[in-house]
Amino acid sequence: MRNSALASASLLVPGFLKAFGMGKNGLYVPPASTTGKRLVVIQLSGGNDGLNCVVPFRNDLYYRARPTLGLKDDDLIKISDEVALNSNLEALANFYNSGNMAIINSVGYPNPNRSHFRSMDIWQSASDENEYLYSGWIGRYLDATCDGTCAKPYNAVEIDDTLSLSLKGDNMKGLAFSQPNLLYKCSQNPIIRGVAKEYKPNNDHPEVEYLQKTLADTMESADYIYEHSNIFKSSRTYPGGNNFGNRLKTIAELICSGCNSSVYYISLPGFDTHVGQKGQQSRALKNLSDGLDAFCHDLKDNNQFDNTVIMTFSEFGRRVSQNASGGTDHGTANNIYVIGGKLAKPGMYNPMADLQNLDEGDLIYNIDFRQVYATMLEKVLGVDSTKVLGRKFDALGVV
Amino acid sequence: MVSKQKKIQHLFLRAGFGETPERINSLLNTSMSSIVEQLFADSQNYQDMTYLSYPLPQDDEEKGAGNLKILAQFIKSYKEREELNTEWISRMATTPGVLREKMTFFWHNHFATSTPFAYLMQVQNNTLREYALGNFSDMLHAIAKDPAMIIFLNNQQNKKAHPNENFAREVMELFTLGVGNYTEDDIKESARAFTGWSVDRRGEYQFNENQHDDGDKQFLGQKGDFNGDDILNIILSKKEVSVFVTTKIYREFVNPVVDTNRVSQLAESFYQSNYDISALMKQIFTSDWFYDEENIGAKVCSPVELIVRYKKLINVDTPNPKTILDLQKGLSQVLFFPPNVAGWKGGNTWIDSSSLMLRLTIPMYVIKGEGMIVKAKPHPEENPNDMQQEDENAGRGKITADWTALNTAFSNVPEDVRTEKMLDYFIQCDTSRIDRNLLKINWAKTDTNNLTLSMAAIMSLPEFQLI
Repeated sequence: MRNSALASASLLVPGFLKAFGMGKNGLYVPPASTTGKRLVVIQLSGGNDGLNCVVPFRNDLYYRARPTLGLKDDDLIKISDEVALNSNLEALANFYNSGNMAIINSVGYPNPNRSHFRSMDIWQSASDENEYLYSGWIGRYLDATCDGTCAKPYNAVEIDDTLSLSLKGDNMKGLAFSQPNLLYKCSQNPIIRGVAKEYKPNNDHPEVEYLQKTLADTMESADYIYEHSNIFKSSRTYPGGNNFGNRLKTIAELICSGCNSSVYYISLPGFDTHVGQKGQQSRALKNLSDGLDAFCHDLKDNNQFDNTVIMTFSEFGRRVSQNASGGTDHGTANNIYVIGGKLAKPGMYNPMADLQNLDEGDLIYNIDFRQVYATMLEKVLGVDSTKVLGRKFDALGVV
Repeated sequence: MVSKQKKIQHLFLRAGFGETPERINSLLNTSMSSIVEQLFADSQNYQDMTYLSYPLPQDDEEKGAGNLKILAQFIKSYKEREELNTEWISRMATTPGVLREKMTFFWHNHFATSTPFAYLMQVQNNTLREYALGNFSDMLHAIAKDPAMIIFLNNQQNKKAHPNENFAREVMELFTLGVGNYTEDDIKESARAFTGWSVDRRGEYQFNENQHDDGDKQFLGQKGDFNGDDILNIILSKKEVSVFVTTKIYREFVNPVVDTNRVSQLAESFYQSNYDISALMKQIFTSDWFYDEENIGAKVCSPVELIVRYKKLINVDTPNPKTILDLQKGLSQVLFFPPNVAGWKGGNTWIDSSSLMLRLTIPMYVIKGEGMIVKAKPHPEENPNDMQQEDENAGRGKITADWTALNTAFSNVPEDVRTEKMLDYFIQCDTSRIDRNLLKINWAKTDTNNLTLSMAAIMSLPEFQLI
């Protein structure tokens, strides 16, 4: 019944309205952030080798450190006289050339940790290297919006079955689901629906209150997401491998169906390339590039590209020298890609990583990753970044 | 007024993983103090985990922990760690020594360690089990020489010429004193005392005298040529240790909201007993206040507590052993995979929209016989292109259960009081606001008998998550 109601609602939205980013009521639906912009975060899990993504193809040091793994002409798309992208990143090269992409080099933090788990923990929680936080930076963004009183879980959405630390705040937490209809189906369990329906604040027992409040919010979010997932259906081809394409497609459909979430979060695994890196990284990067190609076209078609900023990150880069197995081991500083319709400073934000001065064979960071977060928080999401990051990190003029 | 039944359930939910109505009924006429005595007696004897055998051939000096860094062995080891995980879950659910397993689980979080060397994790687990109800001072000395801990906190790299402070910092910040009771200089000085504490190629503790700094150290107001054991003894002489550890135990076993007066009394006895863990736990479980209403049903159970409770109550099983790991991943607590050295924080941090939905829908998955739809995120070292074979995924997500014992326990209860009886056995906190009508409908639309359906409905309530 619900399905057919939504199907007819979708028919009621004329195509030209959809094209102007209109929601099902014919109203333009901006993200709930105070700037009217939204952030899409793409986590590259396993430690992406940034040096084979953005390649200094005129630098001998690069080829000396990577005699067989160093990328040569056939595997490169030149984007300047000095720099080329991995040829699997074709869409990113197009974004770069059309002024829709910025590359931030040498991003990291002091005393880098080489454990996947710990370093991801540091990136997601935005902590210092020797500090243990139990909340993530996007979760604390939810806490910081109108002091956490107006935020709903669906304001920050992760397309996955489980919620990453990044989206867990001290008070508020984001919403994770792999498919809007599965979330909705799960929420139809009559017992938990019944409990949620009867929810009334109860201060006698704080734990019961917390569970019931979370449940009621979850049901509200499940309904909201379901209602805002079916109006726009993408007809583009997203890459098949690994769910990544389908999940990006889900984000495009939510955005273009008028969902007002401010943050979308998605992971692409497969970047831990100790052995036989070339084939493995190529597949992962192609997945990323093809997915973003379809995604950004969907956003453009619906006039949603200019108010969207996409950023990638990984828990660490990899060592400069290749190892004996045709791969690279865990390293330190890395580059970050920022994509959007209206960037303040597209192109190469800062110089390429210095391959001359290494710290025991590793790249040295010169932009703290929390400066990138501060940038996104202040310029995309419109909050005071010190409330989220605990202290002042200088924002970058990228967006 | 808290009923005897509720008190017994409270004891077993906190000191163990819950018990069946049948077991609870058999104890209704036994005094609380005898039940507590029996709880400790049942944990007297224990056996080491021997699931994984020593991975190297005897006298093989070439292969050791140092060489295990090869990727293929990492991944094999990852699988072994998962197997060790399910082995421990089963033990928790079936052992008569529930208190010892619960305490081992507590220390597993206190001394949170994560290394890819599965066998060394088993060694550490056995060390924690050995001292779980023993002496905290002995346990601290043992864990400081534990190979997995040494590797995890980089003490392998702690050498005279280049001290690595990681272990020295965490031993004070997270294991004993807590922040604010030492200085950065204390960390620097004590790191020197732990230089040379390392692991040999066979994966065993080794004191490397050449790398040890035997010079004078200035530590917590004392000066001398301290070695690592001296440093631990100086730390243990501070009363702050007893307060720090007792507070953590109180939060976990009594109430997440700490009563500071009570904790300082407990800490004082703990200190006076020279850190006798059994004595501390017995003091807690025999106190009247432990059974006060405010402490009952006051905490959100951890994912592992929930899973083991289900195993005990309805013999929850997963035809595909990976499912028990999927459940832990979906609920954010995987044994042997703590988030970092500070462990799991617990309490409300367990709960977000997706983890709560999963917790509340487990009974539905069981009743309907459908597989869980939750898929865990891939492990960072996993290459998605060569992930598990199809056959490894056969039946993945399915959860089975056996309701026979519970059906028997309630089948003779008159229908008009049955729901109330069930609530008494399964819900620890106040049940007055629970809508009884919800529990009576055929909510799963299956032909499952009404008794089972009502119990599964109760287990779907948020209140079931509170122990």
